[in-house]
Amino acid sequence: MLTDLRLRDFRCFDALEIFPGPGRTFVLGENAQGKTSILEAICVLLRLQSPRTTATAETIRFGRDRFCLDGHFSEVHLRLHYSSEGREMFLDSKPQARTEDYLDVARVAWFANTDLELVRGGGSGRRRYLDFLGIQCLPGYRKSLRAYEKALRSRNALLKDNRPRREIEAFDPPLIEAGDFLLGARRRLCEALAPLAESACREISGGDDALEISCRSGAEGPLAEALTHTRAEEMRLRQTHVGPHRDDLKLLLNGRDAAGFASEGQQRGIALALKLAQARHLEAVQNRAPILLLDDIFGELDPVRRNRLLASLPPHSQTIITTTFLDWADRQPQDIAFRLVGGRLENA
Amino acid sequence: MAFDYPAPFLQLARELRRLPGIGPRSAERIALWLLSNKDARPGQLSAALSTAETAIRPCSRCGFFATDDLCEICLQPARGGREICVVELATDILPLEKTGSFRGLYHALGGRLAPLDHIGPAQLRIESLQKRLLTENPVEIILALSADVEGEATTNYLVEILEPLGIPLTRIAHGLPAGGGLEHADQITLLRALSGRRPVAER
Repeated sequence: MLTDLRLRDFRCFDALEIFPGPGRTFVLGENAQGKTSILEAICVLLRLQSPRTTATAETIRFGRDRFCLDGHFSEVHLRLHYSSEGREMFLDSKPQARTEDYLDVARVAWFANTDLELVRGGGSGRRRYLDFLGIQCLPGYRKSLRAYEKALRSRNALLKDNRPRREIEAFDPPLIEAGDFLLGARRRLCEALAPLAESACREISGGDDALEISCRSGAEGPLAEALTHTRAEEMRLRQTHVGPHRDDLKLLLNGRDAAGFASEGQQRGIALALKLAQARHLEAVQNRAPILLLDDIFGELDPVRRNRLLASLPPHSQTIITTTFLDWADRQPQDIAFRLVGGRLENA
Repeated sequence: MAFDYPAPFLQLARELRRLPGIGPRSAERIALWLLSNKDARPGQLSAALSTAETAIRPCSRCGFFATDDLCEICLQPARGGREICVVELATDILPLEKTGSFRGLYHALGGRLAPLDHIGPAQLRIESLQKRLLTENPVEIILALSADVEGEATTNYLVEILEPLGIPLTRIAHGLPAGGGLEHADQITLLRALSGRRPVAER
């Protein structure tokens, strides 16, 4: 659990300190006060990545050249310095060279309004969803993902420039090694998520909606064979035509394609179910609930679904929730609430 | 009007700033130190820089740092006619040399295949390697490149073009680091260590 967090020169904050509770912590505030940035800071400190952007440098406060985040998670002191020249990570004040060691401290599940894109948007968002989970629960996932991306981009650059075949094929073994790992890992993740997402969707919809998720693999069988079979295609298109970069997650609601046939309310329910499944899977493999970050997702839900969602959250997890108003929630005695006004936190 | 340091100072700071890992603040601090600390020896530094710049060049054979046409390693007569160890950078040679167990010659490619940085075979010293192999007749070619994507690709490419020459071709082992336990190794490292296993009796 996260006991304290300090932000310096992060997004709109010059300095901010917050002490979340062990259960639910509400951060209240008007729009554009920086509520989301607090959750983002937690995610960046614990997972070294922002769910809002792929360019972490964007989160440095305007006019500054670095940000610092630090806090304690389960008695481990995490500190992260980030500048345009790179990042430095510390655990208990000791510099860490291996990202894996640093990332091993905490697990996170992130819920936001933009999760609707998981249902409506393109495959890249659903791959990111799987990757966010894979990096947190499968050793070697992060390394393989980075290696695959590098090999793929290199290979595509060579294909585009019409380079000799043996230069292109020099990149095949690293592409295949990382690619087969990713293909298998994502298939296994989908299998593990399917029953969790199905039951979460029933809970949120009150039992009406049957969600079925399955993996649509970007390559049938081993990647080496798939590459051989699509050689003509890739020479014509001048890019790699098969592989995990074409993986997708197929979403069916009551037997029909969710993007096309589900209502907006149902689609929001599916997005929540996917994120709940993620949180529950992390809890199952880690034997410990991840920290849940819920970014202003209640405004779009009717009161019944709001409270069903709150009831569906893993019960023992630390949860930090941003919202503009709080009159809907049945407050529990151990809840903590802060109000964010003008860059300062007050007890609410 | 706002005052600033005199032009020669700013010029010095600008040059220092071009060094790797040096930002504007550090550049200013180093310049100040060089010009005002009593232990600083700016004259010697500048002399050492110009001497090094004119005296050091890459060895025409292997690419290591040399003061003559050939480097110290290539000049040792006992090293010829044995293995040639191919590395990415000239700076990779000393760590191998320090193991004390390699007695052959080196060949630094000057980088590795990196299409995203527009580095292809023509930008590397591959042709000069091929020429060396024809004249030097090594007993073995050892590929000692990094085990990441671009290093792997470069190894694969070299295997492809060197194999037809009929010279024994090996690559350095990869797998568990010395002193590392299995539980700390990631899946790919373990996979490679497994597939690269060898008989216990081999000595």
